[in-house]
Amino acid sequence: MVTATNVSRWYGQVIGLNDITCEIGPGITALLGMNGAGKTTLIRLITGQLRPTTGDLRVFGEEPFANANVYRRLGYCPEIDNFYEHYTGRAFVQFLARLDGLSSLEAKKRTEDVLDMVGMSERADRKIAGYSKGMRQRIKLAQAMLHNPEIILLDEPLNGLDPVGRREFIDVLGVLAEQGKAILVSSHILFEVEQMTRSLLLLHRGRLLATGDLGVIRSLIDKHPHQIRIETDEPRKAAALLASLPNIVSMEFDRLGESIQLEVREPDSFYDALAKAVLEQGLVIRGFSSPDNNLESVFKYLVEA
Amino acid sequence: MESAIFGQAIREYFRPKRFIPWIVLAFGCLGIAYIWDTLQNGATKLESYSQVSSIFVFHVLALASAIFTTAIISQEIEQKTIVYLLTRPVPRWKLLVLRYLASAIVVSVIGIIFACLSSVGAYHGFGSNPLLAKDCVALIVGAFAYGALFLIISLMFNRAMIICLLFAFGWETMVPNMPGQMYYLSIYSYLQGIAQHPSTGTNKLLALLTSSGGDNTLTAGMSYGVMAVFVAALIGLGAWWFTNFEYLPREDAE
Repeated sequence: MVTATNVSRWYGQVIGLNDITCEIGPGITALLGMNGAGKTTLIRLITGQLRPTTGDLRVFGEEPFANANVYRRLGYCPEIDNFYEHYTGRAFVQFLARLDGLSSLEAKKRTEDVLDMVGMSERADRKIAGYSKGMRQRIKLAQAMLHNPEIILLDEPLNGLDPVGRREFIDVLGVLAEQGKAILVSSHILFEVEQMTRSLLLLHRGRLLATGDLGVIRSLIDKHPHQIRIETDEPRKAAALLASLPNIVSMEFDRLGESIQLEVREPDSFYDALAKAVLEQGLVIRGFSSPDNNLESVFKYLVEA
Repeated sequence: MESAIFGQAIREYFRPKRFIPWIVLAFGCLGIAYIWDTLQNGATKLESYSQVSSIFVFHVLALASAIFTTAIISQEIEQKTIVYLLTRPVPRWKLLVLRYLASAIVVSVIGIIFACLSSVGAYHGFGSNPLLAKDCVALIVGAFAYGALFLIISLMFNRAMIICLLFAFGWETMVPNMPGQMYYLSIYSYLQGIAQHPSTGTNKLLALLTSSGGDNTLTAGMSYGVMAVFVAALIGLGAWWFTNFEYLPREDAE
């Protein structure tokens, strides 16, 4: 559905995207990258708001820039949080439905359908200015689904949603993916993406660092020693216990002796064993963190690999 | 789809919050017209209306046009709502032209309200004003002409409002007063060619204020012709420009 061949995009002297080649087909694909990685630029190229500086980008075989044929089959939920604030949610969605070419009656009906789908039917008659962040996100998603598009692009759609809202949102995406739609979701949070899909495009500083299955990337990450920090009131007792667990590579106390810094291989096995130790041997843990569970370390591993 | 774009724009421009201030200003203009004959000793009702119209109404028209026309695209970019419009299956030229039409209609209505209330003020009631009908036509032509020019400016430049206001109150005040054939470069001169206001006589200050200090000899026919070509050319250029160039929310524009 989307094909990018050696696509680059410059903003004056700054490069936004550097020689990207990829294909996006049916199902959910995550576009993962830190802030400034080029995610929004890629989405804007696909939605035809920007033109590539070099390379070729096609959506349904056509160049998307200002192309109404493409927009008939493409839905876009932008990252920006701006609306016609004095509109009600219903009026806003209905207006955009009319721009999608629906008649007045069809627009009304379709508006109700999508508002229902995102759980906003009851609250859509309030002015958007009074909406919470989560409600605004839902309205953005609703307008992206109005014309039943084959491709839906969602730029950081989970920002501002509460855990229940996230779950519902991810469920809706799952239903749409099962209908054969191509859904591209951008995010800078690895954990978020893992809940949605296994298929991803990993962008870093404008370059496409990896594509394919998230599991492969996870296993690549897991091959590296994983850093874990454990805070406990009994560090020496904890250290003795932890030393008996599998996959420990190294262990050290911090200066104050209140926490232990571990390096482990195969972190999932370690986590299982740790949970067991906590339950069976009464190890008290006050805090637990893993600086490696963020995107930056993913990139570090991938670059090193 | 077309009716939705046009209707949304009209409703947006006629929103009380936007429109009522203009009505309040128009009543201010009525007040000025009412006391104009006192300010200008011995001015007839026709002269009072003509002078108030030239000094205030036609300049308010340019001001209203600058404000409403920049809302067509610039405001959408500033508010970042442009993405919702540009990622819909609507040809960009259609979006631009329909919103331009809506803004020109609203500006025309504002101009006509100002002209009518100025007439009521100058005539101290609903007297027969032989200039009013021609003025209304000139104001409609002006709304479309200023709109077309300001639209192009807003498509090509950031912070278009400043440029538009400089044009409306700088260029349009000075150029018609310049000697020689400079008046050909002012929209206001063509609007005066259509309205055919009477001369201000020997009062040089009044001539400058009413922008009739130059050698404007434009006829109504020529003014209509030039304005029609001007509007068509600029709208055509604007439509092409808007279709072929990138428009992003302001913070992202490079």
